[in-house]
Amino acid sequence: MSGDHSDATIARRVRRLETLLEDKGVLSGARLDEIIDATLTGATPANGARVVARAWVDEEFRSRLLADGTAAVRELGFMEGSYQRLRVVENTATTHNVIVCTLCSCYPLRLLGPSPSWYKSEAYRSRVVREPRAVLAEFGLELPAGTDITVWDSSAETRYMVLPRRPEGTRELGEEQLAALVTRNALIGTAPV
Amino acid sequence: MPADRFPPGTRVRTFPHDPPHHTRLPRYARGKRGVVIEPEGPAELADVSAQGRGDAPVEQVYAVRFAARDLWGEGDHHVVLDLWESYLEEDHGHER
Amino acid sequence: MARINDVGGTQGFGAVDITDDAEPFHADWEARVVGMLNALREQGLFNTNEFRDAIESMPPAEYLTTSYYERWFEAIRILLERKGVLRPGELDAG
Repeated sequence: MSGDHSDATIARRVRRLETLLEDKGVLSGARLDEIIDATLTGATPANGARVVARAWVDEEFRSRLLADGTAAVRELGFMEGSYQRLRVVENTATTHNVIVCTLCSCYPLRLLGPSPSWYKSEAYRSRVVREPRAVLAEFGLELPAGTDITVWDSSAETRYMVLPRRPEGTRELGEEQLAALVTRNALIGTAPV
Repeated sequence: MPADRFPPGTRVRTFPHDPPHHTRLPRYARGKRGVVIEPEGPAELADVSAQGRGDAPVEQVYAVRFAARDLWGEGDHHVVLDLWESYLEEDHGHER
Repeated sequence: MARINDVGGTQGFGAVDITDDAEPFHADWEARVVGMLNALREQGLFNTNEFRDAIESMPPAEYLTTSYYERWFEAIRILLERKGVLRPGELDAG
């Protein structure tokens, strides 16, 4: 069964496929390297953290971000040329948002880079739409009773990101310091910040 | 661009079909009642595009909000899905 | 008929392993697979929906025991065979 394939076996098959595609003139190794670099460079959760910090300090940016996420993050140089839309959903004192893709693993890759393994797991994908409170508790996030939870199941071309609440006691912090507080999980909705 | 078939606030019902091909309407949301939040913009219908055909129709996609109670019979949260227009019909019998 | 990928609301997958793996890829071959997918899509050899369809069509037992990027690799192989770029079985032939 494929699951028993060792890493070495799959690595060898991947190399062999690459060679076959090169021999057939379908793919060049140089072009593949370029594409991999482009995939890995620039797309990290730090981008999302920057977007969040800007929204926390700039009320007008926050409004634009919630109205049209794609356009607002492009102001900061993110998601240029992407055909996907970005919708940013805001947590408040009484509402909490969490992102999933139950059918596969849709995620704002162009902005945040590859998703964490748990996001792609069957456990997370199957359960968060059914029992979000229990799943969030497993992440250590206990929401007050009465919090309205919305689970966004990314089933088409829109990608989602959560705008977490600005923590208390951060009035003195600048934008960069604020960005450093924001975790990847908070951008997905499984951490408060 | 013609007006959207389902303006924000429209009560809709998802199709109950279980198609023999790729689809982006998860089974947990088939034949369920929800409310349109807003249009997400047009996109090629994934069901047809997945068959490698160049003639996939472009349809409006809507963000549709479902109450957990309507999906699972219990729960106080909501789930939002992005659904192609042909997955939806207007729900005229939503009196409760 | 609903496929194995359509897991929303399915019971039995257990607790979420919340380990926060900061590294985007766990092995070099995973990055190569992602690169290959993007390169082949860029050439218009197949689209994202065909790719998803190929993953979802895996037999359930195989889907559930195959790692994430290994599923991607299998889907790429299946599509390359379907499009006539690879002969059936060519990848694993000698």
